[in-house]
Amino acid sequence: MSSLEFQANETLAHPIILAHPPPLMTSSPPTRTFFQTFRRNRIGLVGLVMLILSIIVAVFAPLVAPYDPKASVEITIDDLYAQPSAAHLLGTDDAGKDVLSNFIFGSRVSLIVGFFASFISIFIGGVTGIIAGFYGGRVENVLMRITDLMLVIPDLPLIIVFIALTKPSLWNIIFVIGIFGWTTTARLVRSQTLAVKSRKFVLRARALGAGNPHIIRHHIIPLVMPLIVVNTVLVISLAILNESTLSFLGLGDPTALSWGQMLNYAFSRGAMSAGAWWALVAPGFGIVWVVLALTLLGQGLEQVLNPRLETHHLNHAPQGNLSTSHQGEWTEFTGGRVLLEVENLSVNYLTPGQPPARAVENVSFRLREGEMLGLVGESGCGKSTLMLALLRLLPAAGRIVSGQILFDGRDLATISEDELARDIRWKGIAMIFQGAMNALNPVRTVGDQIAEAIKQHLDITDPAALEARVAELLELVGISSFRAGHYPHQYSGGMRQRAMIAMALACNPQVIIADEPTTALDVMIQAQILELLANLRQKLGLSIIFVTHDLGVVAEMCDTVLVMYGGVTAEYATVDTIYNEPKHPYTQELLKAFPDLTKPGARLAAIPGYPPRLNDLPPGCRFAPRCPAAFDRCHVEAPALHALNGDGHIASCHLVE
Amino acid sequence: MSRSRYLLRKISWSLFTVLFVIVFNFFLFRVLPGDPARAGVRDPRMSAEAVEAIRVKFGLDKPVINCFQSLNPIKFGDCAVNPLETQFFIYVGNLFKGELGLSFHYNRPVTQVLVERLWNTILLIGLGQILAIVIGMFLGIVAAWRARTVIDYTALLGSLLAWSLPTFWLGIILLFFGSSNFGLPIGGKETAGAGFTGWEHWQDIGRHLLLPTLTYTIVYMGEYMLIMRSALLDVLSEDYILTAKAKGLRTFQIIKDHALKNAMLPMVTIIAINLGFTVAGAIQIESVFSWPGLGGAIYEAVVRRDFPVLQGAFLLIAFSVILANLLADLTYSYLDPRVQDV
Repeated sequence: MSSLEFQANETLAHPIILAHPPPLMTSSPPTRTFFQTFRRNRIGLVGLVMLILSIIVAVFAPLVAPYDPKASVEITIDDLYAQPSAAHLLGTDDAGKDVLSNFIFGSRVSLIVGFFASFISIFIGGVTGIIAGFYGGRVENVLMRITDLMLVIPDLPLIIVFIALTKPSLWNIIFVIGIFGWTTTARLVRSQTLAVKSRKFVLRARALGAGNPHIIRHHIIPLVMPLIVVNTVLVISLAILNESTLSFLGLGDPTALSWGQMLNYAFSRGAMSAGAWWALVAPGFGIVWVVLALTLLGQGLEQVLNPRLETHHLNHAPQGNLSTSHQGEWTEFTGGRVLLEVENLSVNYLTPGQPPARAVENVSFRLREGEMLGLVGESGCGKSTLMLALLRLLPAAGRIVSGQILFDGRDLATISEDELARDIRWKGIAMIFQGAMNALNPVRTVGDQIAEAIKQHLDITDPAALEARVAELLELVGISSFRAGHYPHQYSGGMRQRAMIAMALACNPQVIIADEPTTALDVMIQAQILELLANLRQKLGLSIIFVTHDLGVVAEMCDTVLVMYGGVTAEYATVDTIYNEPKHPYTQELLKAFPDLTKPGARLAAIPGYPPRLNDLPPGCRFAPRCPAAFDRCHVEAPALHALNGDGHIASCHLVE
Repeated sequence: MSRSRYLLRKISWSLFTVLFVIVFNFFLFRVLPGDPARAGVRDPRMSAEAVEAIRVKFGLDKPVINCFQSLNPIKFGDCAVNPLETQFFIYVGNLFKGELGLSFHYNRPVTQVLVERLWNTILLIGLGQILAIVIGMFLGIVAAWRARTVIDYTALLGSLLAWSLPTFWLGIILLFFGSSNFGLPIGGKETAGAGFTGWEHWQDIGRHLLLPTLTYTIVYMGEYMLIMRSALLDVLSEDYILTAKAKGLRTFQIIKDHALKNAMLPMVTIIAINLGFTVAGAIQIESVFSWPGLGGAIYEAVVRRDFPVLQGAFLLIAFSVILANLLADLTYSYLDPRVQDV
């Protein structure tokens, strides 16, 4: 990203626009939902109300103002800079005129200049941006270079010079402010046009024979409009500020008493020494009111048209009281010490104004030493939520509502954040995330980030020892140790994932959670990573929870399988049982859907329908709407987790009772 | 593209921009209406010989460029004239010698006039920017950390309000209440005729510097806070922050060791660019507080139609903007290891 993208002109750029790069508008928001969302946005509403108030005052100025500023008055010395009184609510100015009336009529000038000047800017900027973005090539190059050059010339002095050397009339001012305000708009519009131009529906329209004007009119403009609208609001506020500054510097239209002009007269005609604060405060207040209104409105529009969650990974959810309930004893699958025991864990996601999404409900499993558990299910079934909950890494809206996570003699669901971070995270249980592109900090070297994990939990501070350990870890996963000094973007996808594995092993954890570690990689690299994991598991005696939706991988590598659907356990058994004697209809359908290499001509089976909405669950079994074996009871009563054969095999289905 | 080629591209573009600015600057003041010679001394009783003498003194009798006697209104001239004798090339030649012409008003070299003022502006801006950066960044970090809480909303509204204040008006209000209630000076850089020396001199300057710096800081603090907050919010929702949390790092550690460096990338760029423009932005503050800086010089030059000073100041500001842009690009390329291609 070039710094030119952040050209910040003191008067003509806006931190709100600068700080949010233009969004990729996926579709023009339907007007109805737009208004609904906007109604709930308080900042935007306040701004809109403030703006409407000022417009009303400006339009109905003759009715609202107590005096006519143009009428001549008979005055005496006492009337100059008179204090606020009943006759003059905001006192008088240096000519004995009522400040309040001047203030009210002044709003007209400021608003008119602001609106007209900004329309010129937006028009020029918008047209330039669309042409540059749409036609590309040399045209774009030339236009953008011109924009860059214009951004280098300091705007306020340039405007000052132009006005000073030409006529300081109102139209001149509008024109000049408008002419020099198009650059930021042009840049924004161009970026957005570029983004829209390559969307599929534009290509489709072209294929159908649509000409350029048609595409611009019907596709580009509707998607660029929202951005232009937000930008317009902010450009207006800047134009008003510019006009007031010009007027204050004495370059305003002497015949038009704008707020800036009022301040100019007051300041240069002794309001300060006369102590006439009303003459100084009132016009400024007007400017602030209107600019603030526009800024708030712009902020509100921005939030509606480009919603950002504004929550992040460091938001701490409050610890709630957990209800724990035992659901009976189970028997063991195999020998081996139980390392991790999850009992009846339930996790909700809270959204204000909506019922909570029950993302995980009453899930239990056990992980023994050396065991590899495959966690299988569709997207959105709660696999990742469950894994994040184990280390309490849920996003701010997530809550563990009940259950226990027993590890190392502690209940991870209830211990303090401090204890969790110090003793358990990475040291006891480590995690490998999906899609390691962004899981590693791009501005720090890989070796540095691995060393950080070591420094955090093991008491090794000697740089040489750290370096040696990092090298050892990298070699373990098949990366040459000299790459420790490289940055993540210098690694390939597979290498990054291997680096993540190396980092996960840094503190010799007992359990590794691998959340779809190979989903983002191609098949050859997948095989490498899986082989690596299998080797490490054998060599280091690791226990692994492997989250995936690839049944083939599960069959090959896992000891036990937990099948989830819609947030609940569908089936939980050893891998042999799952593949040979699946008892839950969902597991059976999943296995059927898995293509068989021995039957290349067979039709691909699929499970019709969609996973349930977790905040609007059907009564009864969550799989019932899509289940081929569902009967009446399934739609009414949710099945309990039934133990089968006394060997730890669990299925939640009425048919199994 | 390797780093050296990246730098080379940036530097060559900067040089081109410098050339553009020189040419633009020159023609700007020739195209706009008004006879520069008359503008310098606006006495209608001036005789024709006197006007001509002024013309010669300031080199305005020579053709602007080869075929044009003057640009406003356009008068054609002798295309066979030696190009190096035209105003344009004399101007460029002088530039290389560091001469910016002669001020109409002061009758002194423009360079001298501007350099005196420049240091005053740097004093004012330097202090203000540093405070604005430090306070703004701090508030931005706190607001992003505690996003969507009362602290965040208060800081957000405060910054939006600070942004909405016209710089000169904030200055006026502060000056009004500062001077009447706290006895702070009305304007200027030092108390005239007081003859302070040494530490007392600096104290005196400090008292005069207080309100302008406060104005400057408040205005820019809002902008930096908003940008820092936004950048940090973006960064804190990235995957590597979750990884850091999973590694057992505490919140403060994560912000310090992982988030800040990434969030600084857009901040550094904007700080560097602001530095370029603030010389221009100081115009408002300097005119309210009568601070003898570059901004005030521009304002006075405008009022007096002192074109050489205006031209020189313009050039100076444009150069500082270009320089700041270049520095921003260079700093960014060093901070972000991903920058290899433009």
